[in-house]
Amino acid sequence: MPEAEYSTTAQLPVPVIWEFVREMDNWAHFLRGYQSHEKQSDTDSVWVLKGDVGMVARTVKFQVHIDEWGEPSLVRFSLKGLNEPMQGGGEFRLESHEGGSAAAEEPVKLGWFARFVRWLYQLFAGKTERATPTAATPGAAVTRLRFQLRVQPGGPMGPMVDALMKPLMLPVAEELADRIMAELERRHGQKP
Amino acid sequence: MAAMPARWDLEVDVVSIGSGLGGLSAAIVAHDQGASAAVLEKAGKLGGLSGFGGGEVFVPANEPMLALGLEDTKEEGRQYYEFIGAGFQSQPHQEKLLATMHEAVGYFGEKAGVRWKACQGLPDYYYPRAPGSKASGRYLSVDLFDAKTLGEWQQKTWLTPIMPPGALHEEMYAWGGLAKVTTWDYELLGKRIAEDLRTFGPGMMGYFVKAAVIDRKIPAFTETPVRQLIADENGRVVGVRAEREGKDFFVRAKKGVILAVGGYDHNKELACMYEEFPDWNGVFPAYLDGDHMVLGPELGAAIASVPPTNLALFYGYQIPGEEVEGRPFWRSSWEGGCPHAIWVNKNGERFCDESFYKEYQPEIRKWDGKRQEQPNTDIHLIFDGNYRERYPLGSFMPGQELPEGMVVVADTPRELAQRLEIDPDRFENTLERFNANAEKGEDPDFGRGSWPWAIRLVGDQDYPNPLLGPLSKPPYHAVRLRPVSVGINSHGLKWNLDAQVLHVRGNPIPGLYAVGNSAALVDLGGGYQSGTSNSRAITWGYVAGRHAAAQA
Repeated sequence: MPEAEYSTTAQLPVPVIWEFVREMDNWAHFLRGYQSHEKQSDTDSVWVLKGDVGMVARTVKFQVHIDEWGEPSLVRFSLKGLNEPMQGGGEFRLESHEGGSAAAEEPVKLGWFARFVRWLYQLFAGKTERATPTAATPGAAVTRLRFQLRVQPGGPMGPMVDALMKPLMLPVAEELADRIMAELERRHGQKP
Repeated sequence: MAAMPARWDLEVDVVSIGSGLGGLSAAIVAHDQGASAAVLEKAGKLGGLSGFGGGEVFVPANEPMLALGLEDTKEEGRQYYEFIGAGFQSQPHQEKLLATMHEAVGYFGEKAGVRWKACQGLPDYYYPRAPGSKASGRYLSVDLFDAKTLGEWQQKTWLTPIMPPGALHEEMYAWGGLAKVTTWDYELLGKRIAEDLRTFGPGMMGYFVKAAVIDRKIPAFTETPVRQLIADENGRVVGVRAEREGKDFFVRAKKGVILAVGGYDHNKELACMYEEFPDWNGVFPAYLDGDHMVLGPELGAAIASVPPTNLALFYGYQIPGEEVEGRPFWRSSWEGGCPHAIWVNKNGERFCDESFYKEYQPEIRKWDGKRQEQPNTDIHLIFDGNYRERYPLGSFMPGQELPEGMVVVADTPRELAQRLEIDPDRFENTLERFNANAEKGEDPDFGRGSWPWAIRLVGDQDYPNPLLGPLSKPPYHAVRLRPVSVGINSHGLKWNLDAQVLHVRGNPIPGLYAVGNSAALVDLGGGYQSGTSNSRAITWGYVAGRHAAAQA
């Protein structure tokens, strides 16, 4: 199953980030290929994304359901393709760290393939929006955002689509998490 | 014509404009003959149209097929090519093509590491009716290519959306062809994709790109369109003015410039003028926009042509939201040849054998002089519930929801016709007649099921006639189809037996060559056979590279 996990930090307290993340309107447009989303209830929404499957970009409609709402630090969700045979899920998780400790932590370990894909992505997509977070000011609040995403293509072509999607997953997760944190830092004056 | 620059940014002996099969073949051979070479590519990736296609190379009596014990002779190959030419070919060009193609294909197998395989089980288009036609083995394709060997070029070479990634030709046929796409071995394909083992056009061009830019270190520049040719005071082409990162990039070509930029599908003006269609759509990327038809004539190059009637024109459709390279993607449609499907024109009538494009292609161009219109350019693919249960539509598998706005659905044929604004009585009559014959496995009107090539490609062997099944189960579906081209155009530059471009006065323009689809298809003549585009690109690229390298 194609899946990716990415984490990053910001010098902001958990409640500030939670306030932002809890409202999908704030960050929906940061998702790669975002076309639209529609809230149907407190727990359900429909998302339309345009994504690459091999050479071809397709428009995919997902039903997203919030499975767990662990305020103020966890959102766990499941998703189901409405026009493509896909299902999956993921989570946003916020973790508070003592000032300075988070930035000094070991980064999430990536396999060689994931590192290679990330390198390629940065090379060809020119992704330079957010550099590695700077060291935290001693005593300042630091929050780590972990974003995990997994998508399982179904149908007879599932194994093939699976292979085509795999290299795209990490950049998607990374881009979303980084963009969220960059926006928060911009709003709260952490970075220009 | 551009003025001679004060300085050159790059100086080599031979410059290939375009990185498809013709351009890279010429560059590789020129290099091997001791000349220095460079490749300028307009797109952001190498491989050209050849990397976007099926990667078939049509070579009668090729070595791999003979090694498999399949029988063929060069004389039978000549007979078949002559049949395709139908009197419109230039005999000397066709003879030299046939006399050189084995040497050229063999050269790239031996010197460039291309692992050719004969496609078993795929007949010539016109088998068994055409003289010299064969049931199997004349199409060469490549064995799996490991794209990881391309290094930095791995991500800068074309993949194709029109062929299943990772599958080999013979596997595709062994798995039952396109009609049985639901039961293919996708676990195997997934593993190959994960390892980036390429097949079809991307696999073939992988070998050629590796041979050129990795093994021979021939410099290749992507996103570098050539704007003008540069000639000296004697009219000899000595270089080009290209554009690189928004600035002029002057490249000197001391021995020759090879024009290998493909056709002009995406130049609406040229396509309308030469292909005689008010609207022209192409399956392949937008880079095929006819640069050769400007660069050459600017220096007095002559244009030559073959009849457009029977080259390679299909029907196709767009899936809403589907894009390639940021543009809506035209898929060529093969679905009409499967059981439980037909095409109807605006009169509500069938007009051809939907499974065999050599038969229906002239019908696309049919002109109704009384109504002053082309009745078969705006048609519909019609299929029923049986089709939806068995076969895909594009990449949408049976049972999968079809995109909004793409398909018109109705419970009865009459209701469907009304929604399509087609005469419902005539449409019902069309269906009744087709169904009655399809039940018997017959198509007395158009002979569907009589061409082995079509059966191999889209036939369902579970049926007595693999291409016929009635449309009798609701709901009934319709998809609008339009003509789509695959880059094989009727006009190109006029050239001689050394692949030199000819001036309108008849003399060769020194230093200028044209190969592949940039060179008019005078060596083929009045028809087309899949794989001939690639075999002529390799052959004339080989000829041009050798000739240019031998210049003083």
